[in-house]
Amino acid sequence: MEAILKRTAQRVHESEDEKLLIEQAQNGDREAFEQLVQRHDRDILRLAFHMLGNREEAREVFQETFLKAYRSLGRFRFESSFYTWIYRIATNVSLDHLRKRQTLKEEISYESDSETHPDRPALKDTLAATTYYSNPERRLYGKEVGEKIQEALKILSEKERLVFELRHYQGLRLKMIGEIMGSTEETAKNYLFRATQKLRAYLSNV
Amino acid sequence: MNCKEYQHQITLLLYEELLESARVELEMHLNECRNCHDAYESEKTMHSVLAEDASQWDIPSDLLVESRRGLADELDRIERKRSWWRMPTFSVVFTPMRLLESVALIAMGLALGVYVSNQRQIPSPVAGNSGQDQISVIPRNGTISNLQVVNADPVTGQVELSGEVSQPLRFQGKMDDDTIRNLLFSALRDANNPGSRLKAVEVLSQKPTNEPVEEALINALVYDDDAGVRMRALEALRKFADEQHVRIAFMHALKNDEIVGIRIGAIDALTASKSKDQALAKSLQEVTKNEDSPYIRSRVLQFVGTSK
Repeated sequence: MEAILKRTAQRVHESEDEKLLIEQAQNGDREAFEQLVQRHDRDILRLAFHMLGNREEAREVFQETFLKAYRSLGRFRFESSFYTWIYRIATNVSLDHLRKRQTLKEEISYESDSETHPDRPALKDTLAATTYYSNPERRLYGKEVGEKIQEALKILSEKERLVFELRHYQGLRLKMIGEIMGSTEETAKNYLFRATQKLRAYLSNV
Repeated sequence: MNCKEYQHQITLLLYEELLESARVELEMHLNECRNCHDAYESEKTMHSVLAEDASQWDIPSDLLVESRRGLADELDRIERKRSWWRMPTFSVVFTPMRLLESVALIAMGLALGVYVSNQRQIPSPVAGNSGQDQISVIPRNGTISNLQVVNADPVTGQVELSGEVSQPLRFQGKMDDDTIRNLLFSALRDANNPGSRLKAVEVLSQKPTNEPVEEALINALVYDDDAGVRMRALEALRKFADEQHVRIAFMHALKNDEIVGIRIGAIDALTASKSKDQALAKSLQEVTKNEDSPYIRSRVLQFVGTSK
């Protein structure tokens, strides 16, 4: 009981502390903004890196997310938690990048890329060189299984992918995921269900 | 509940998202139903494989450091570019901290002989309090928003409130008038009102003949959240497309703006110049290497071809 009370008191303290930081940042205090960033940046980078699958784009999403937050912090009215708010920005930016990439893929033939754009490396080579499986930490772990999962994730729709990512890899509760998506917990549940069904079907065939 | 509905709940069970009562009911069903039990085992296997994948995964150690450094550099750059915002300007939203500045600026405005609308009222004390107990002032025709109770002591009856007060404002003057220009700059900073920012850009773009106005338009093009405002700023800056700092802003928009119409406006402005420039051609190729608009890519190819 005492531990629960302690944890609750700590949470209240952290939340008040964060509110103060937000207010200071809203008044133009750069240091306060940087403290807010440091509270959440690892989570945001993890989300971006796993959603986009490569360092360069993850860094871009990271930067774009916090710059958008910096520019629109004045409009933050404490109607949701800062965590939910920043995650909402990050998921939107990540989805924009995925959509852009999809458009690019559709316009440029995967195989004939080097013929139409001799000045560019072939798209397939670029993708192979930049997926997160190419980083050394990743290679140490069952590459084959990891690659199969990565392939399987590609068959999910944007929203299914997002919900699966937030629940499975980021560990967020479905209620919060619903809030981040500007939707409900029920909707998030349905996306998660559809995502796991698709993954199961795909992975059982390989 | 039928088997399909129970199977729907298996996912939630594995992610510990089921209520206790639903969990007990599902577990009882799994003990009785072979089909659902098989589905559970299959999903559990997949779940553990995926969980293993998640547990092994983390961001590369240097990526966070690199990303933090990149963000800090970008914030520094923004602050340097925005430094002119910090010059004293009129603000139509008053907070206690801005009150002193605002009063000083109104006095300056009067000294300059600017016509002040007779709608403007002299601030009066808050009703119900006077003399040394007075805690703040609001204009008679002002409206209060975001009012919050900072402190309330039931013993002494002392209450501390915070919020924002705004009041109607009307000014007349020429575009060259500092007060008018500062009001327009102030409107450009009104984060909550894209319509007001758009109007400000429209008015400023009528006579963007001096450096602060040009810089305000560049800031609007590069930083404004509203696509309409950015587009209008871009149009206003087109006539200065030969100036180096304007070209940098266009290049930034071409590389970063999410709205294809703005990127098209930027490439058109950059390539409209009659002077063919190989360095520019190279930069354009670099900036648009990930571009997804066929029009922009073809404009770049066209420009590169003619500048050789």
